[in-house]
Amino acid sequence: MSALLAKTLKSSTLKRALIFIAVFGAIVVVLFSFVHGSTVSYVRSRTDEMIMSEVVILKGAYARGGRDALIGVIAKRIDDEHFNDSVYLLADASFSPIAGNLATWPSGLRERNGLGDFSSEDQTRDAVNRRPMRASVDTLEDGTRLLVGKDIETLDQFVFSIRLALGLSISLLFVIAGAVSISVARRTVGRIESINAASRAIMQTGLDRRIPLRGTHDEWDELAENLNSMLGRIEALMGEVKQFSDNVAHDLRTPLARMRGRLEKAWYDRQLDDKTVISDTIADLDDVLVMFSSLLRISQIEAHDQTAAFRAIDLGEIVREVVELFDAAAEENGVSLDANGDCGVMINGDRDLLFDALSNLVDNSIKHGRKGGRVSLAVTANDGGATVCVSDDGPGIPVEERQHVFKRFYRLEQSRATSGYGLGLSLVAAVARLHGATIEMLDKCPGLEFRLCFPKVVLSETRDTAE
Amino acid sequence: MTGGRRRILVIEDDRETADHLVDALTRSGYQVDFAADGNDGLRGASSLEFAVIVVDRMLPGIDGLTIIRKLRENNIMTPALIVSALGEVDDRVRGLRAGGDDYLVKPFAFAELLARVEALARRSDTVAKDTVLRVGDLELDLVARTARRSGREIELLPREFQVLEYLVRNQGQVVPRAMLLQHVWDLHFDPTTNIIDVYLGRVRRKVDGQQAYPLIHTVRGVGYCVRAAR
Repeated sequence: MSALLAKTLKSSTLKRALIFIAVFGAIVVVLFSFVHGSTVSYVRSRTDEMIMSEVVILKGAYARGGRDALIGVIAKRIDDEHFNDSVYLLADASFSPIAGNLATWPSGLRERNGLGDFSSEDQTRDAVNRRPMRASVDTLEDGTRLLVGKDIETLDQFVFSIRLALGLSISLLFVIAGAVSISVARRTVGRIESINAASRAIMQTGLDRRIPLRGTHDEWDELAENLNSMLGRIEALMGEVKQFSDNVAHDLRTPLARMRGRLEKAWYDRQLDDKTVISDTIADLDDVLVMFSSLLRISQIEAHDQTAAFRAIDLGEIVREVVELFDAAAEENGVSLDANGDCGVMINGDRDLLFDALSNLVDNSIKHGRKGGRVSLAVTANDGGATVCVSDDGPGIPVEERQHVFKRFYRLEQSRATSGYGLGLSLVAAVARLHGATIEMLDKCPGLEFRLCFPKVVLSETRDTAE
Repeated sequence: MTGGRRRILVIEDDRETADHLVDALTRSGYQVDFAADGNDGLRGASSLEFAVIVVDRMLPGIDGLTIIRKLRENNIMTPALIVSALGEVDDRVRGLRAGGDDYLVKPFAFAELLARVEALARRSDTVAKDTVLRVGDLELDLVARTARRSGREIELLPREFQVLEYLVRNQGQVVPRAMLLQHVWDLHFDPTTNIIDVYLGRVRRKVDGQQAYPLIHTVRGVGYCVRAAR
């Protein structure tokens, strides 16, 4: 778990979250300082205004009735409980108190007139109670000095509580955001780490392992599922490649061994007719080359995007031509071959490849269908797409074999005796995939139907603009 | 065929293949020039008049397709046969688009190469506008689309007639299966099944069945040849 924590702390998710926290935190601090500053200055300026208006009243009394009237007003103010947060002091030029509720002139306010802060020492009880004060100092016409002040302890408390609230909320914000980011980062790192661990295990031990799902159906499970199905596909492909290379080895070695044997025999046995040996060998070589070029052809169709050569073509016409071409072969096998369905069923495609694919299907149906049976082709247009069916009334293909028949070199036990390499249906599958068509195999009881369903397409220009 | 020795340019970098090509073509009565790389080939093809150019797809210097493109840009329309070890599916299309006239995949039977070279060489000749083609006692009426042998009409499907017409037009020449497929069906691939043989089997039964001598001959591993009895 400490490894997980170390990874969490190093994770990019956390780093990014921390950057965002810092940016938002800075913005919040600036905002809070602004709120704090403007609140404090507002409250202070209100206090100063109250002091100044009091000064105006007292100066007015002095102007009307001189020092005695001023002393009277001060005495009244001191007795008035509405003014119990105020202090007054009238002193002579040497700061000796004349009247007021302040025992001594604050030492900090002797230098100049105007507003200033000081702290009063309230010695009513045993303890000395210092209170923060704000006061205005004036020198009257006769040289006496007037101090009018207000207790600002409540103001300070107010400022303090604002600071406390702001400070607490900022700290809370940082703590919560930090905790949330760490837990999110930890969760992300945990899931990624489980995927990483599975990947490492797969690299070390083999493709049969899978990434565990948590059953939460979230994006992580989706990722794991996708990776798992990708692994499944890779595993299947690897299996096919292995099967494939085994088959290539077998199907190549057999004719090569035959040729070698024949040539060796001809070398030792001078009686043999050279011409026969050579022509048999060339025929065998041609077989190998046909197999080889079929393989290449399938891989090329699978590997390259050849839809650039697609033209608008009539499937019905291709079907009729295939039937015509195979008519002789059907006749030879005593099979009746017919085509029905719509004309002018247009799709986008490659005529050569479709012809080849349909030829292979028909060839298979004639070879593996019932002797003296019937093979029929049908073309139908539907919903802008098209369907081609090739059906026979032969023994069909067992259900459990059906998923394999499109693999290269795959041959059913029952058809081992007939000629071919087991590549025909691979070609059909490759051509179908290139055209976006699906292949279905349906039981006709008796017989088998291959159904190629071409998707709805926008037709390209009919005219092949060969420049 | 026109008389005299016709000139062929072979551009091929593999020495042994080139020797075989030059040999086989010379034995068939052609005068053969040879270039071992793309630049020499292009120079040769631009300066002299040839009946056919046989060019490898992959060459040192300039590749085969570029040579053909450059020739066509300079208005040199000498028929070109592209020979390539690359596959047939997309390369053929690209090869033909570049202005090549025919395409052959390595390895090939020399009979097939020869058939294709001769077809291309004939293309530069004027095509006789015959209305009746004859070989032996077989007579093809190209207007009525009917075939007669010793005066008796042979019933042929339209496509079968086309096959026979193509073979008769090339009488004495070997016609490879892929060329038949190409010219009669307009299909450009080598069939992996024996379907052409089966199809030709029926044409042959109709044409040669119960006749004094056969006209359609199989050339093993390559294709067919129509030839009257010697």
